[in-house]
Amino acid sequence: MKIKIKNLSFTYARTTKVVLTNLNAEIKEGTVNVVLGLNGSGKTTLIRLLAGLYKPDEGDIFYDAKRLTSIPIKERSKIFAYVSQHSVSTDDILVKDFLTFGFVNSLKFYESPSKEQIAKVTAIANKMQIEKLLNKNLGELSGGEKQIVSIAACLLQNTPILLLDEPTSALDLKNQNLVLSLLRDIAKEGKTVILSSHNPNHSLFLNSNVILLNNGKIEMFDESNKVVQIDILRKIYGNNLCLSSDLAYKEVSFKN
Amino acid sequence: MNKKTIIVLITSILAFAIIFIAALLIGRYPISIDDFFNAVFTSDAEYQIERSVILNLRLPRTIMAGLAGIGLSLSGLLYQEIFQNKLVSPDLLGVSTGASVGASIAIVLGLSSIFISFLAFIVGIITVMLTVLIAKLFKNGSSTILLLSGIIVAGFMSSILSYIKYLANPETTLASITYWMMGSFENSTMNQIYILFPVILISTIILLVLSWRINIVSLGKEEAQTKGINYKYYRYLIIFIATLLTSSVVAFNGTISWIGLVIPHIVRLMVGRNTRRTIPLCITFGGVFMIIVDILSRSFTDSEIPLSAVTGLFGTVIFVAILLYRRRTFDEN
Repeated sequence: MKIKIKNLSFTYARTTKVVLTNLNAEIKEGTVNVVLGLNGSGKTTLIRLLAGLYKPDEGDIFYDAKRLTSIPIKERSKIFAYVSQHSVSTDDILVKDFLTFGFVNSLKFYESPSKEQIAKVTAIANKMQIEKLLNKNLGELSGGEKQIVSIAACLLQNTPILLLDEPTSALDLKNQNLVLSLLRDIAKEGKTVILSSHNPNHSLFLNSNVILLNNGKIEMFDESNKVVQIDILRKIYGNNLCLSSDLAYKEVSFKN
Repeated sequence: MNKKTIIVLITSILAFAIIFIAALLIGRYPISIDDFFNAVFTSDAEYQIERSVILNLRLPRTIMAGLAGIGLSLSGLLYQEIFQNKLVSPDLLGVSTGASVGASIAIVLGLSSIFISFLAFIVGIITVMLTVLIAKLFKNGSSTILLLSGIIVAGFMSSILSYIKYLANPETTLASITYWMMGSFENSTMNQIYILFPVILISTIILLVLSWRINIVSLGKEEAQTKGINYKYYRYLIIFIATLLTSSVVAFNGTISWIGLVIPHIVRLMVGRNTRRTIPLCITFGGVFMIIVDILSRSFTDSEIPLSAVTGLFGTVIFVAILLYRRRTFDEN
């Protein structure tokens, strides 16, 4: 399923600052797309618009040929799954219970998850190596574990598209590596992934497309090896930006 | 449902049955089990007094206590889930204060008890509608605004209540208002139960049917919506049911504090936070707790102790115990 962003503009209510101005882009099926940009450049706003949590002031978002605002909420949840920056808002629900919540769009109002669906939870937990967390409360998990659990919940929703708002922001290097590797594997299965990040290296690691936002406009939308160029990034992140090869010290990163 | 929940559920259903029978036996006129069976299952004239005590006095108030316990614990749980706040109780959106205003107007006007209940119910519902309406003015849709609006409207209603109390005759109507607000099952009749029972039954059935789905609504707007739930619709439905439960219970029995706060906490502590498990248990635990409170309120002293005094006494002690227990588990983590 492809996503088309057409003339998209957005301003927060009761403010005059335009957050996003006339965005146009076409996101192809089965690609990973990293939204890069400074704080306040509109990354989160764009992801939330794509998730239908905000209504555009102008322009439209299309999932295939369907206008997002005309897709009913239940249908939307079968098209995309969304993870917010805070990953989960509650802390006293068991992980295994939380993971079943993604099935709600396939169940009638009086139904609860079937045995097959509960088996799927166990299967995905094994696959993502979080089976030890299943009987814990969400509040007992570390930031990284929470993030992985919320991605697992997204996958159980079984949508062709995943929208993730800064999934690595709260994570240490090890967990960043884990989450990014996971997203790369997911994309290999043909799903479309759109995530926002503060780190241009992530897009290189994922070998993804980059949507580079600058002051609410798309500065560039291309493959990461074309966007993550020192002269392009300096326009956004400032002139002190340099390549690791130009550094006097050795920088750490993770292997591809 | 897991094994633990099923065990707790079956145990509490048995406890419900035992406490229910016990409530018919215990009181200022004690009845032995033999006399109980003779009075209920035979038409022997010798047991006429026992029969009358059981069927006319104790049965209506025990059923009423059970229904009130179920209604208040369920609505407490619903409010806590929807507002994602474990410290809210059923009167959050002003329903109890509103009902008190309705009842006190009826008392001051000298209306009969059925009109007291009717006005209490109506004003209780109107108060919640007012709360929702004021929250809507902010066009924000967040639960915090609704909560704030509830505090504002409850404040408004309680000042009206003060005014009515000020106007009331201190010897007669003021005493009645104060007594009404402390809650009692003393004047329960089967006719009241015929009205209340269907309300509680239908609400309970709806909640049991939706019990799993309420989990997702309680995640909040964003998460519920992206998982495919029509959040607004379900939130208003649940607020409506919770309000209906509280206002119909309060209308007949006066305000009863603490139970809506304490029972959901006890239940969550036992089986965790999952409405598929907590809703059925709130029904049994709420009923049992309220019947015990009623037994205590009518057998501790020669005169009846108001319900809120008993629920408050036990509620606060139990609540401190829960918080202490929770603190211990928090420390261990």
